[in-house]
Amino acid sequence: MTTQAHRPVAAPLARRQGVPTAWKVLGGLALLTVAGVLSVGRWGTEDLAPWVVPLVVYLAGLGVVWSPLDGAFGQDARRLDVAGIFRRDAWLRLLVGLVLGIGALWWFAMWDFTDNGVARAIVTPLVIAAGGALLLAPWWLRLIRQVAIERDERIREHERAEIAAHLHDSVLQTLTLIRARADDPDSVARLARAQERDLRSYLYQDRPSIEESVASAIKAAVAEVEDAHGVAIDTVCVGDAPTDEWLGAAVQAAREAISNAARHGTGPISVYAELTADAYEVYVRDAGPGFDPQAVPEDRLGIRQSIVGRVARHGGGAEVRSAPGDKTEVMIMMPRGGSR
Amino acid sequence: MSVTVVIVDDHDVIRVGVRESLDEEIQVVGEAHDVDSAVAEILEKRPQVVILDVHLPGGQGGGALDVLADLKGRIDGTRVLALSVSDSAEDVVSVIRAGARGYVTKSISGPDLSDAVRRVASGDAVFSPRLAGFVLDAFGAAGGEVAHADEDLDKLTAREQEVMRLIARGYTYREVGEKLFISIKTVETHVGKVLHKLQLTNRHELAHWAAQRRIV
Repeated sequence: MTTQAHRPVAAPLARRQGVPTAWKVLGGLALLTVAGVLSVGRWGTEDLAPWVVPLVVYLAGLGVVWSPLDGAFGQDARRLDVAGIFRRDAWLRLLVGLVLGIGALWWFAMWDFTDNGVARAIVTPLVIAAGGALLLAPWWLRLIRQVAIERDERIREHERAEIAAHLHDSVLQTLTLIRARADDPDSVARLARAQERDLRSYLYQDRPSIEESVASAIKAAVAEVEDAHGVAIDTVCVGDAPTDEWLGAAVQAAREAISNAARHGTGPISVYAELTADAYEVYVRDAGPGFDPQAVPEDRLGIRQSIVGRVARHGGGAEVRSAPGDKTEVMIMMPRGGSR
Repeated sequence: MSVTVVIVDDHDVIRVGVRESLDEEIQVVGEAHDVDSAVAEILEKRPQVVILDVHLPGGQGGGALDVLADLKGRIDGTRVLALSVSDSAEDVVSVIRAGARGYVTKSISGPDLSDAVRRVASGDAVFSPRLAGFVLDAFGAAGGEVAHADEDLDKLTAREQEVMRLIARGYTYREVGEKLFISIKTVETHVGKVLHKLQLTNRHELAHWAAQRRIV
């Protein structure tokens, strides 16, 4: 894998400009100053409202204080060199800005814009507080960003540790076991299957518990049979709801059917469970060799008791379709909430 | 009929396994292991079918979706069959919506995979039981939503639902036909329509929405 260095598209433009930003700013400021001086010379200072000059000075101070933050917002938050914002000439700019700002505020505080002492006592502190807050905002922002970045880092670190711990407790242990039992194919297959299932549930879903979800209950039943008999079973679930008594009975019956398929049938075995608004249907199917359901002796209770009987007691129905040399399919139908 | 195939998977073991399990009628003309090599290989070899792993390294990090997006409109006559171990509806549905003509899981048997490749090559869609289950979920079949006209892209017709249910139960197309007393051709038509609806429906974020629908 080679990663190409991405050359910014605008690089040639930036090169062509060639004038440092600071000089441009200085030039602009010089022009503004000249314009200000000229206008003062033209109209005199009498008509100028007394708050204009402090305001201009204050804004200039604010601009200078905020200028070191230029560019700090466009960066990748993870790479943001927070301390680097205040470096080199930034301190000088800060100092100048603060002096300008505080000077302007002090000027404002000295100014008696009204004879009403109460109004002055209220307005002046408010304005000074607001002005001071604006001047100090860069520090405050910097602090917030720093805290946020540190928190993200901590969360990431925590997740990494979690994943590492999980892999260590599961996959690594299983691999060691597999290596130790390399000469026993059955237990290797079983270990690998169990580990695969565990890893899947970890990767692909936050699987709800068996009580919360009938789909989880079916999958758990399938997993037990897979481990007990060492077969692979294709499971598809549609619809989901918390497992109540009736759904639980259907799952028990389905487990019996699945383990029958694993014991007597050949793969592939498929399980399909669908929950609709009024019924829960489970289908268990294997690829043969089939049998004659009528010919099962009276004393064999698997299908009769554990599947058909259990479902019937809860108001549902079950049916086994098979014939010698054919595929076998067990159908379990359970009305929602019993025989409502 | 002989079919040319390119196998795309980042695991050598899986590529070898897939190549070994395909029958002699299917010619493997190329292999690739990541997004960029897959695009290059497919454009160069022009196979009839691409067996494409959903999770691939490289590209923009979108795996198979990057490959499909890159090749969109540039490969006439090449059809894609997605192959994955993924249990996530989002992966499966989004790769179909991006243009794959079928989805099978890596646990599929050799003969079934060869069969799926031939089916895709002839222009049909291939649904594994898992994909059929996702489709039923996504189109609200369990909630009892039925389209009354074929043109209703947001729902499946009753017949389409029946076909999907049987596929989800592990029936082959032939068995679905026998069960519903229709020809295999008709089954293929229904499956093709479902795939079409899956790709065209305006239900945004279909996969995400399917996940929400699971509680009936």
